[in-house]
Amino acid sequence: MYRKILTAVNEHLNSEVTARYALNLARVCEAKLYLCFIAEKGQPFTSLDRAEEAIKRIFIEAEQMDIEVETITETGDPARKIGEIVRHEGIDIAFAATRREDVERRFYAGTVARRLSLNLPCSIALVRVVHIGRIHPREILVPLKARVNHVEERAYFTAKIAQAFGSEVFLFHATKPISKFFHGELHLTPLEWEKKLPEDISHYMEHMRRYKIIHDGRLVPGMAGKTIAIEAFSKRHDLIIMGASQRSLLSSILKGNPVEEVLKDTPCDLIILRPRHENT
Amino acid sequence: MKIHNLPKEEVFRSLVTSENGLTEEEAKRRLSEFGFNEIKEAKKKSLTIRFFEQFTHFLAILLWIGAGLAFLSEYLRPGEGMLTLGLAIVSVIFINAVFTFIQEYRAEKALEALKKLLPFYVKVVRDGKEKETHAREVVPGDLILISEGDKIPADARLIDTSILKVNNAPLTGESEPMMRDHEPFDGELIESPNMAFAGTTVLSGSGKAVVFATGMRTEFGRIAHLTSAVEAGLSPLQKEIIKVTRIVAFLATIMGIAFFIIGHIIGRTFWENFIFAAGIIIANVPEGLLPTVTLSLAMGSQRMAKRKALIKTLTAVETLGSVTVICTDKTGTLTQNRMTVRSVWLDERIMDIDDVMAEEAEKLMRIAYLCNNAKFIEGEYRGDPTEAALLKAAREITGDIKIERLSEIPFDSERKRMTTLNLINGERVALTKGAMEGLLPLCSHMLINGEKVPVDDLLRERAMDAYHSLMDMGLRVLSFAYREIEESSEFGVRSSESKNEDSSLVTRHSSLETDMVFAGLIGLEDPPRPEVPEAIRKCHEAGIKVIMITGDGSRTALAIAREIGLVKGNPAVIEGHEFVRMSDGELRERLFEKEIIFARMTPKYKMRVVSILKEEGERVAVTGDGVNDAPALKKADIGIAMGITGTDVAKEASDMVLLDDNFATIVNAIEEGRAVYENIRKFISYIFSSNIPEIVPYLSYVLLKIPLPLTIMQILAVDLGTDMLPALALGAEKPTKELMKQPPRNPKERLLNFKLLSRAYLFLGPIEAAAGLFGFFYVLKSGGWQWGEVLAANNLLYMQATTACLTAIIVTQVANVFACRSFRESVFSIGLFSNRLIFFGIAAELLLQFFIVYHPWGNKIFSTSPIPISVWLILIPFAVILFVAEEIRKFTVTTYFQKQSPYP
Repeated sequence: MYRKILTAVNEHLNSEVTARYALNLARVCEAKLYLCFIAEKGQPFTSLDRAEEAIKRIFIEAEQMDIEVETITETGDPARKIGEIVRHEGIDIAFAATRREDVERRFYAGTVARRLSLNLPCSIALVRVVHIGRIHPREILVPLKARVNHVEERAYFTAKIAQAFGSEVFLFHATKPISKFFHGELHLTPLEWEKKLPEDISHYMEHMRRYKIIHDGRLVPGMAGKTIAIEAFSKRHDLIIMGASQRSLLSSILKGNPVEEVLKDTPCDLIILRPRHENT
Repeated sequence: MKIHNLPKEEVFRSLVTSENGLTEEEAKRRLSEFGFNEIKEAKKKSLTIRFFEQFTHFLAILLWIGAGLAFLSEYLRPGEGMLTLGLAIVSVIFINAVFTFIQEYRAEKALEALKKLLPFYVKVVRDGKEKETHAREVVPGDLILISEGDKIPADARLIDTSILKVNNAPLTGESEPMMRDHEPFDGELIESPNMAFAGTTVLSGSGKAVVFATGMRTEFGRIAHLTSAVEAGLSPLQKEIIKVTRIVAFLATIMGIAFFIIGHIIGRTFWENFIFAAGIIIANVPEGLLPTVTLSLAMGSQRMAKRKALIKTLTAVETLGSVTVICTDKTGTLTQNRMTVRSVWLDERIMDIDDVMAEEAEKLMRIAYLCNNAKFIEGEYRGDPTEAALLKAAREITGDIKIERLSEIPFDSERKRMTTLNLINGERVALTKGAMEGLLPLCSHMLINGEKVPVDDLLRERAMDAYHSLMDMGLRVLSFAYREIEESSEFGVRSSESKNEDSSLVTRHSSLETDMVFAGLIGLEDPPRPEVPEAIRKCHEAGIKVIMITGDGSRTALAIAREIGLVKGNPAVIEGHEFVRMSDGELRERLFEKEIIFARMTPKYKMRVVSILKEEGERVAVTGDGVNDAPALKKADIGIAMGITGTDVAKEASDMVLLDDNFATIVNAIEEGRAVYENIRKFISYIFSSNIPEIVPYLSYVLLKIPLPLTIMQILAVDLGTDMLPALALGAEKPTKELMKQPPRNPKERLLNFKLLSRAYLFLGPIEAAAGLFGFFYVLKSGGWQWGEVLAANNLLYMQATTACLTAIIVTQVANVFACRSFRESVFSIGLFSNRLIFFGIAAELLLQFFIVYHPWGNKIFSTSPIPISVWLILIPFAVILFVAEEIRKFTVTTYFQKQSPYP
């Protein structure tokens, strides 16, 4: 599915860590890796040097892994330039880091990561790097909604990342508690919840079985964002892979946004995947 | 692969840093990427929002609509008392909101206690230079320098150490010093000796480390997040109160609407119907319920405090009563945490410590004395309880020993042993004590009758048999060994002048601990608290499962469990290493077993046990004292912290603090909790009984076209005035003996069930209603009123009649308070005077009624008028009827339905 993988590298450490995820995905997919640095006008030389060093390090690592790798360095608006490269090279998936302050201003001011996420014609993996001590994730938490689109690509991405690092996958679905007017919230045991496992998640599990990934599933009642963070903290997961938010700004303000909540509170690195066909 | 698996060079490469640390510019960049190194509270609803939510639930909305209509009516048709009604309804909303909020309020101070464990400043290397910076500005990749006394600011990988010992108690719960090194480690990150974790402290030595996680991404941040984000959810009582208010609100609305329509059909005006509908709603809503429940819980918490259980959240009082499982620590809670040496294994014999002779046990006791950090100062043994016990036993046998200690490899939970290097008669001798499984394999010889005998399989087996026998006696067993270091050994010659520690020897894998001589075993006893067996028996009778979670070995844990009566058959015993490997499904199955013990566990596993039990619908109480117990304490329905040995963080995260650290106190608190629930049901019966005499006058007013026998303000006088203190007195009823002989109440059992409602609404209430209407008509008729005659609201006769109706309710409620003291037993069998507060309650009720009836202010507020004493007297027979009828009902129930549920 992924033959050409692009990763945006800049002077920030999180872009280098992000590139390592792309690198390992390229290894297991036997894909070509594009290391791409877009220098913005007026950027200080130290930043350029720093980015070049990072690209060099990733390049060497890629060569050591026998991965076909190409570096692209250009000047201009990062989001626009990356868009052009993606179209020109026929990139299947692009990786980009999303930074801490992005969380606060993503919706209101827009960021490179958000622009990429909305405009690129390929799949995009936004990576929030928070814990650089967990170099190879052993346990990957995959929160899923009840209705999952692009199940095949999502499962493929998760399975390949798991294969790359020899990880176990923990599928997790946070659902609304069941309540009745006169009885209040009903308590269901995990076995009873299991019977209510949404169909899409069962399909996702089938894919995991097909890819021979060790996996486990769990359904927990509660507020999605908070419950996912608690699960990741309590079980010491090393990486979270989840889908991009589909909520509008208004809906996010009114109902909250689980993806934003996890982005803010995640105890481990987080990959937000927007599969390729969502933008078309 | 994680950071602790890597060698130093790879660590630098992976974190993109170097021996020179980060540059200032890079540090700034990383600060913008990763944020400040600080502990933040998980996002929560603010107190203000939580308070305002009390005004927006179903019942509150219903009352707001009622109040709004009343104000509108006052605006459209002033002077009909609608303003008073509106204000009364608004006050009811406020009173309910305030009391619900008080119940739910809990000061969240656990995070503040956690923050105190982090440093303000830290030494870092930046641009190759050492400097001091704010700890919150430390970023991943920073090279930090740590030395004795420092608090560690973030999670960091050690790259250089010099006899570095840290205290990891905030993370592991174990206060023993932990030796640190900088070699790559293959195990779990949290157990890795090349790690320095945020919130821990450096006890001695120094080191350099590279930061890899800051703020909430550290292990310490993990505890902070879980402590602040995890919630036990609504308490059983809160859930029940919500259900009760919804049922009541629904019934009230239906009745209000139905009678509004009926009124319209029979030709009453809109305003008459509106007043009537509002009255029906007000009469149905038990305005005094929430204040009474809250005050009753507060009284319950006072009683618990007297029994050494300090309650921090009011609702915890009742939740305690519903507990089905207690997960308890062993040491200090079930036992006294007063270690004493009881037996030794020496020369292939187990003997009582009192029978040990100084000559034969000299070597063993010398190790126990010298490989020990406890001290005998001013006639007291001070230090860790186990070490103090060993020192005491050794000192009593050998007398004082003055021997120089050259160095020490401290105890840590992974190695489970400690070693000291001592200079004895000019010779260096390594002395080791620790767990048998770790120490015996290090021994090549065994000391038997003063001779060093090579260890073979047979000797090893005998030693292991002895070890198991001592553990089966419930003893904590330590093994002891030594090694005399010859001058020609690889450690070289060392004179007494050369006192400097050889850091290469003092490592976690020291070659001192090889080729040792096994000297024997010592078994220590931590006697159970005397009250514990009885408390455990009570738990069993009360259907409460007790799960022991201990760091001790399984045999010791099992022996203690048998001694205190915790287990009788063959319980499931799960050790820590087994626990880690189990899936949630497997653990769930094991937790279903009747008797279960967790051995060799660390506190960090508690939250998993608690979570699974809760998922299965159990109501869980858990004990804890350490910082890392905090998430489990928050997750449990009842988190119980130790008052004496507990950390501030544990105490702040808990719902209840045991002032004496005693398990028996938990059981006492549960008994009080059950009594509180039982008492809440009693005063609900009492409060709901008075709803009928409040509703029936309204029905009569509409259906019989008579003057309204009871005004809305008079209803409020009962609900928020006269009923309150007797109801509170019912909340102080003592627990009956039977209470702890019943299983925990079924979670499906409703607080307000059909039996309780039918007793209040169909049995007690109608008697009171009859009394009220009788009083009303008696006064009207005595005053010459004719059927169909309309009386003005300020008519003296009318006011006297409504006063008589109100007085009838009060008089019958006096009898009702006695009736509601029990559901089945006769008042005479539980003792008429056994709850003196009842009499204070009744006195207060009557005084308030006298004020309402006879004081001008009371008359003005409640539109009442003084009535002659004769009216009181003619109402008394109704009270007697109610009391006698209830005694007959109880007799019938106990005689013919004995075996049914104890609850009505």
